[in-house]
Amino acid sequence: MIVVGLGNSLLSDDGVGLAVAARLQATLPPDSEVTVIELAAGGLRLMEALVGHQRAIIVDAMVSGTGPPGRVALFNLESPQATRNLFCAHDGDLSTALALGRDLGLQLPDQIEIIGIEAAEVELFSETLSEPVAAAVPAALALLRQRIGLQ
Amino acid sequence: MTRISIDPITRLEGHGKIEIFLDEQGEVANTYFQIPELRGFEQFCVGRQAEEMPVITDRICGVCPEAHHLAATKALDALYAVEPPPAAKLLRELLYMAFFITDHATHFYALGGPDFIVGPDAPPSERNLLGVIRKVGLDIGKEVIACRSRNHQVIKLLGGRGIHPVAGLPGGWSRSINPAERDELKEVARRNLEFARFSLDIFQKVVLDNPGYLELITAETFKHQTYYIGLVDERNRPNFYHGQVRVVGPEGRELLRYHPDQYHEQIAERVEPWSYLKFPYLKAVGWRGLVDGPESGVYTSSPLSRLNVADAMATPEAQAEFERFFETLGSRKVEGRYQPVHLRLATHWARLIEMLYAAERMAELLADPEITSPLVRNPPQAVTGRGVGCVEAPRGLLTHHYESDQRGVLTRVNMIVGTTNNYAPMSMSIKQAAQHFIKAGQVVEEGMLNRIEMAFRLYDPCLSCATHAAVGKMPLTVTIRTASGAPLRTLRRDAA
Repeated sequence: MIVVGLGNSLLSDDGVGLAVAARLQATLPPDSEVTVIELAAGGLRLMEALVGHQRAIIVDAMVSGTGPPGRVALFNLESPQATRNLFCAHDGDLSTALALGRDLGLQLPDQIEIIGIEAAEVELFSETLSEPVAAAVPAALALLRQRIGLQ
Repeated sequence: MTRISIDPITRLEGHGKIEIFLDEQGEVANTYFQIPELRGFEQFCVGRQAEEMPVITDRICGVCPEAHHLAATKALDALYAVEPPPAAKLLRELLYMAFFITDHATHFYALGGPDFIVGPDAPPSERNLLGVIRKVGLDIGKEVIACRSRNHQVIKLLGGRGIHPVAGLPGGWSRSINPAERDELKEVARRNLEFARFSLDIFQKVVLDNPGYLELITAETFKHQTYYIGLVDERNRPNFYHGQVRVVGPEGRELLRYHPDQYHEQIAERVEPWSYLKFPYLKAVGWRGLVDGPESGVYTSSPLSRLNVADAMATPEAQAEFERFFETLGSRKVEGRYQPVHLRLATHWARLIEMLYAAERMAELLADPEITSPLVRNPPQAVTGRGVGCVEAPRGLLTHHYESDQRGVLTRVNMIVGTTNNYAPMSMSIKQAAQHFIKAGQVVEEGMLNRIEMAFRLYDPCLSCATHAAVGKMPLTVTIRTASGAPLRTLRRDAA
C-alpha cells in the first residue's frame, strides 16, 4: 500500500497533503508495510509511483469552493470533484495516466482513494499553512490512519 | 471593445485564461494569456542563507525542478567565487541531459503528440497521451514509460532524490560516481539514443510524410519573424548547461552575444495596461508592441530558437538532423549559416532534435575519464555578494540572480523563468490562431479552441506550479461580450 502526499510545500495550503503524509510517516509503526512518498502533481508521474501497489491513498489540497477552508473529504477517482494536484500541466491527469498504465499492462492499485483538504491560500509563497487548514491536519491524519487500518 | 475570454483552467481554479479583445470592426485586436500570479517569492527568499536556494527553488515547480536546481547552484558558484572541479560540471550536465530527455519525451508524446498523431480536430477525449498510444501502438507506450523511468533513476542517482534534487553545492556536487555506476549510465545513454532516433522516425512517418500536417507546419498561421536567443558554446553550438547567450535576428544575423551575468543590460520588461504580465524584450531593439520583424524587440526562447541561434550542433547525429530540419523547411544558408525557421509548429521537431543531442551528449559526458573522479567540490573562497546562474530549461532560458550581504544572507532575488521569455510570442501565436477563426465579429466555433491550444502548447509553457491545464481535460470557455460588456454568446467545452 502506498500513501502519496501531493502538492507544493512552498505555496501555503497547497502543501497540506505533504504535511499530512509527513505526519503519517512519523507515526507509522516500525513494521508497517505502508510506503509514504511525496510528489508535486500528476499525471504520469503519479501513476508511475503507484505501480506495484494494490492500494493507494492520495492526500491533496483542494480549492472546490464548496466548503470552508479545512474541510476534509474522502473521494475516489469516479467522484465528480477532484483535488488540486491530480492534474499536471506537463504530463496530463491521473485518470488518463491510469488508463494508459492499464493499457500497458502495468500493475496498478485496485483501489485508489483521495483525501482532500479545502485550502484557503494557494498562491502565496509561504511554508506555513493557514490557520483553518493547519487545524484540519489532525482530522485528515485520523481519516488517513483509519483508511489504512491503523487506529 | 468586444472581449472574448477562453478559460483553459480546470474547474478547480477560477483564474488563468486567454483573453481575446476585438476592435470596433470585430477584428482581433489583442490576445494574451492571463495566468495565476504567485505572490511573494522575493520576500520568501530574502533573509535566508543563499546556499538554501538550490533546494528552495527546485520546489517552485513540479515540472522542472532540475532546471531551477542547476540555475541556483550555478548562481551560488558565482556568489561564492568558486569554480567547480571538472567532474562536478560533468555530473551536473549529465543529470541535466537525463532531465531534458524525459521532459522533451513527455512533451512530444503527451502534449504535442495529440495535435499531430491524434489530429487537431479529434475530440478532446482522444487528444491526450492515451489517444496517442492507442494510435501508435502499445509498444511505443511502453518505450515512453521506460524512457521516463530510466532517466528518473539517473536523476535520483545523481541528484540524491527522485523528485527534488539536492546534490548541487556552491563549487560542486555532493556525490561522485564509481566506474560501475558509470557503466550502468552508459547503458541508459545507449537506450536514450535509440529512443531519440525512433521518436524522430515517428515524427518523419506520422507528421512529415503526411501532406496535411506538413501543410499545417509550414502554413503562415503559425509564423512569426522574431529575434531568437539561446545559450551557445564558443563555437556557437547549443549547450543547455553552460555558455554565452547569443541573440540572432529574424534575418539570421547575430545581434548580441553576452555573458548571462549581463542579462539586465540586454533584456527589459514591458508592462502593458491590459495585462499584468511583464513582456521581456531586447533593449537594443526596443519595444514596438506584440509584433514581429527586425524593428520589434520581441524574442523567442525555445527549442526552435536554440536551433535558430546555432551555427551547428555539437554532436554528429543531431548535426545531421539539424541540417535536415533547415533544408526540409526551406531555409537557405547565408554567410555560412542557415536562416532562421520562423514556423512555430516546427518547434515540435526541434524538440526531438534536442532530445537526440541530449542523448548523444550524455554518452560523451560518460566517456570523459574525469567523470569518475572523486574530486567533486571545491571549497567556496569568498562571498562576492552577487551571483547569476543561467541554464536552458526545456521551455526557455532560465536565469537566477541573487544578491547577498557579506555573510551570504540574501538581500535580493530575481528570476526570469523559461516561459516568461515567451509571453510575447505566445500571445502573438494565439492572436494569429484567433484571427483565422474570428473575422468581422463572426466567430467560427469549429476547431477554434483546438487551434488556440495548439498555438500555446507548442511553446511547452510551464505557466506555474499553480496552473494545471491538462491536455484533453481542459475545459475551455469562450465568452463573447459586446462593447458594453454584456455577454453575447458563450462557447464551452467541459472537461473530458
